[in-house]
Amino acid sequence: MIKNYFKIGWRNMMKNKFFSFINIFGLSVGLACCILIALYLNYETSYDSQHKNAPNIYQVVTAFIQSGSKRMALPNTPAPMAAALKREYPEIVETARLLSLFTEDKTIVQYNPAQGERRSFLEQRGFLADNSFFKIFTYQFTEGSPVNALANPRTVVISQQLANKLFGSQPALNKVIHVNSNTNGEQDYTVTGVFEAGKTPSHIDANFFLSVNGGNMEGFIKRQQNDFASNNLFFTYLLLKPGTDAAKLQAKLPAFINKYASKDLKNIGFRKEQSLLALRDIHLTSEVDSNVTPPASKTYLYVLFSIAVFTLIIACINFMNLSTARSSKRSSEVGVRKVLGAEKSTLIKQFLGESILMTLIAFVFAIALTLILLPLFNQVSGRAITLSFSRDLVMFFEFLLMALITGILAGSYPAFYLSSFNPVKVLKGKLTNSLAVVAVRKGLVVFQFIISVVLIVASVVIARQMNYMRTADLGFAKDQQIIVPLRTGAAKAAYTALKTVLEENSSIASIGGSAYYPGIFNPSDNLVYKDGQTSAEGRRTRMNFVDDNFLQTLNIRPVAGRLFSPEFHSDTNNNIIINEKAVQEYGFGTAQNAINKKLYNKYQDNTSTFTIIGVVKDFHYEDLHLPVTPYGFFLNTSGFNYMVIHAKPGNMAAVLKTIETSWKKYDTSDPFDYSFLDEDFNKNYKADTRLAAIVSYFTVVAIVISCLGLFGLAAFSAEQRTKEIGVRKVLGASVKTIVSLLSIDFLKLIVASIVVASPIAWWLMNKWLQGFSYRREIDWTIFALTGGIAILIGLITICSQALKAALANPVKSLRSE
Amino acid sequence: MLSLQHISKYYQVGGNKNFVVNDISLDVDEGEFVSIMGPSGSGKSTLLNIIGMLDEPNDGYHYFVNQPVHQLKEKQRAALYKQYIGFVFQAYHLIDELTVYENIETPLIYQDVKGSERKAMVADMLDRFQIVGKKDLFPAQLSGGQQQLVGIARALIAKPKLLLADEPTGNLNSKQGEEIMELFRKLNKEDGVTIIQVTHSEKNAEYGSRIINLLDGRVESSRKF
Ligand SMILES: Nc1ncnc2c1ncn2[C@@H]1O[C@H](COP(=O)(O)OP(=O)(O)OP(=O)(O)O)[C@@H](O)[C@H]1O
Ligand SMILES: [Mg+2]
Repeated sequence: MIKNYFKIGWRNMMKNKFFSFINIFGLSVGLACCILIALYLNYETSYDSQHKNAPNIYQVVTAFIQSGSKRMALPNTPAPMAAALKREYPEIVETARLLSLFTEDKTIVQYNPAQGERRSFLEQRGFLADNSFFKIFTYQFTEGSPVNALANPRTVVISQQLANKLFGSQPALNKVIHVNSNTNGEQDYTVTGVFEAGKTPSHIDANFFLSVNGGNMEGFIKRQQNDFASNNLFFTYLLLKPGTDAAKLQAKLPAFINKYASKDLKNIGFRKEQSLLALRDIHLTSEVDSNVTPPASKTYLYVLFSIAVFTLIIACINFMNLSTARSSKRSSEVGVRKVLGAEKSTLIKQFLGESILMTLIAFVFAIALTLILLPLFNQVSGRAITLSFSRDLVMFFEFLLMALITGILAGSYPAFYLSSFNPVKVLKGKLTNSLAVVAVRKGLVVFQFIISVVLIVASVVIARQMNYMRTADLGFAKDQQIIVPLRTGAAKAAYTALKTVLEENSSIASIGGSAYYPGIFNPSDNLVYKDGQTSAEGRRTRMNFVDDNFLQTLNIRPVAGRLFSPEFHSDTNNNIIINEKAVQEYGFGTAQNAINKKLYNKYQDNTSTFTIIGVVKDFHYEDLHLPVTPYGFFLNTSGFNYMVIHAKPGNMAAVLKTIETSWKKYDTSDPFDYSFLDEDFNKNYKADTRLAAIVSYFTVVAIVISCLGLFGLAAFSAEQRTKEIGVRKVLGASVKTIVSLLSIDFLKLIVASIVVASPIAWWLMNKWLQGFSYRREIDWTIFALTGGIAILIGLITICSQALKAALANPVKSLRSE
Repeated sequence: MLSLQHISKYYQVGGNKNFVVNDISLDVDEGEFVSIMGPSGSGKSTLLNIIGMLDEPNDGYHYFVNQPVHQLKEKQRAALYKQYIGFVFQAYHLIDELTVYENIETPLIYQDVKGSERKAMVADMLDRFQIVGKKDLFPAQLSGGQQQLVGIARALIAKPKLLLADEPTGNLNSKQGEEIMELFRKLNKEDGVTIIQVTHSEKNAEYGSRIINLLDGRVESSRKF
């Protein structure tokens, strides 16, 4: 019987190639979207599953609470926290600290072989880790052993990839490498282990782990031995005894904070709340900011998931609509079969068989499509997802099941409808669709276009916001700015000389030095308060340390007082320049009013005093997601992390060449590296760019599938009305009136979709825009634009068919009836 | 074999009942060959459909092989129908997507006859109607007479006790029509199949053993030979 169903299904499909194409194409694309998203979701939820202890591993999260200001949850803790927690609570078996090498994201790693040239690389994703790290986390070592790999000072465990880069095919174990980072200084490290990349992703995407001891951080940590309040730099992981209730342990932590940190916290005006975040949840917890790697936003995953499902639904609707529209063609078959003894249930099975056959064919195409699109998808999503038949067999069966369910869903409505025909009626003559079915069909078309219109609005709003962010005045000059990182002591020392030489170059406008620059993480901050206030009333103020030409180079403009400049040799590091937001938050009223006022900062019983010498216009040191907050500049003469070079418009390649040549002259050992300020700044929009790309891709897919369905319906309706059109033409109707006669019904549906979709889209996208402190609000032009696009696309789709019908020779169509 | 008692069928037109079949009582014995005649719109097809359980009367009692059809549930009626009745149409109503072989086979599939058995039965039928050479053709590739032959073969494949035919020769030329009628007579005589046919042709009607004339939904006259 099944064979029979498939046979008939196949013949029907071949007989109606056009409709089969629309259906199979739509279902293939819809299924491929779902498969891709399922793979992505699978990948995102598989984070950190490789660790044997995963169910018992927790990360300590700190919520910072300041009276009046909102909570900020960070996965960071002070250095002594890990050891103290282990001491206090017997249910904690092991703790480990992890510190990412910060300030810049590249570390120089060098290997000096006995023979041959020195190999020097800029490496990312380096960490300091306690020896206990490998007791908690599971890593597959290809050389050495995880046991006590980081017990000794100046030991390093590296990834297989880095090992290959440094040592080629030679063993890495016990080789000595030179590591140079801003965080930890310059030292030699002995390789004690090489680990393989995990089979599943981890939120710790480490390239190498340095021992905590042996570098600059060792001394820093020793000095912080009793500070449980500030310097929250470390990721702290706990391994709990199996069976421990993490919630119960978490409930004990306020007492811990009370015991160790309350006094220091009172001094700096913060409260702290500790919580425990389960390892497997880390990647999906976007509420915790600045984790080791950026977490996946759950909202984003939901959005992707719904878009994929909607795409599939659109394809299913095509199937339903085209099936019921063509039902008159199948009605006599249904009648005959009933007369021959078929029961309704048998016919339902037959029609379901046909839709399942169609989805199975679509499934084969979908798998092929998935394999073709995976590289592009990986590029857009920034992941490394793979699909292999042998490894993911179970998943293939799940996908197959999904295809079957899709077939049943798409086929059930037509199956019930078609199988319910009364044989006496249908055998008597041609059947016209009942009004109810026509209404359902129209409803489904409207639903399809609602989805499409919402997606178009989303694409347009996202594109406008992206464009707004890229072109907004950031309050500083972001173009033509070359950033040269000064990573080593030698490079830092060469700054002044380099600057002097390069400033003479006619294609360079200006050069400045600084600790940080806009767009990158600005870790330095202080609680700053003014006369008559206490530390508890202080405002969190980001700090930067710059030379006397940095503000000029970035064209950050003064509104009161003055900037640091070479003319004022008397400027000391007690002078501060603040932004307008700081003026407002400290409560000075006007910028002019703030000039020459004193500011204070208290740190561990020491109070520093600064004098405000200038106020600058607010500028975006962070991306436009975030509001501008108080910011201060101090003057430094050396020790800068970055040299910022403002090139004059012209030949950028030549300028870079000049800088590199000079760099080699003054710092022969370090590789020359540079980036562009605007590009670095826009890196903050990576997730948004990704969303924009994905939404626009899906929008195109949804529109194409919807329009194919509409095209099919229009073609069918034109075909059905061939005779009517013929008669009308003979009676003298013009092509124009016939085209509008055929199009108007469909156009009404599209207009209805726009009317329904607009408020939905407005609500959704307005919510999305709330995530940006600076945004381009949605206005009526968006809906006018979207409505225009939707109607235009719809018109083109429908009119092509209507025109074809209207231009057909009426004599021909009338004769054939 | 079957008995209709005071069967009526009407359509509500405005406030009036428009009777298509009006209080008809009729008994047909096993082995009869009945021809129903009457002008267009007199309710012949409707009556045939009621006999064939494709249509339900609004009123009256309907017994078939001693079962009260008017009291049976849909399922039971379908089972009865499947077991006893075969239908032949004026417009053949073959399934376009199926070959001659598959068209004939279809009723057996719905009766859950096993594959091997089906094969034998269809082969038998093809042989009997001398259309073995056409078995892989689709309906569109056959002449009208050939299509009707296939239609009859299909109606007979499940060995029905009652064959209902609604103007089986209506679309055929007189020679083809005669062949079909000869076939009916043979079926009736040799195989004992009870046949009820609707026809407009006096000549074809006379192949039957009884002729019933309908007018406006009533039996106007009935002749037995
Ligand atoms: N759905 C319906 N609604 C109203 N009247 C109907 C309906 N179906 C059939 N009729 C009427 O029932 C009457 C009998 O129809 P039927 O098909 O039985 O006639 P017939 O005798 O077979 O005619 P013909 O020789 O043309 O085939 C017709 O007058 C027709 O108008
Ligand atoms: Mg009739």
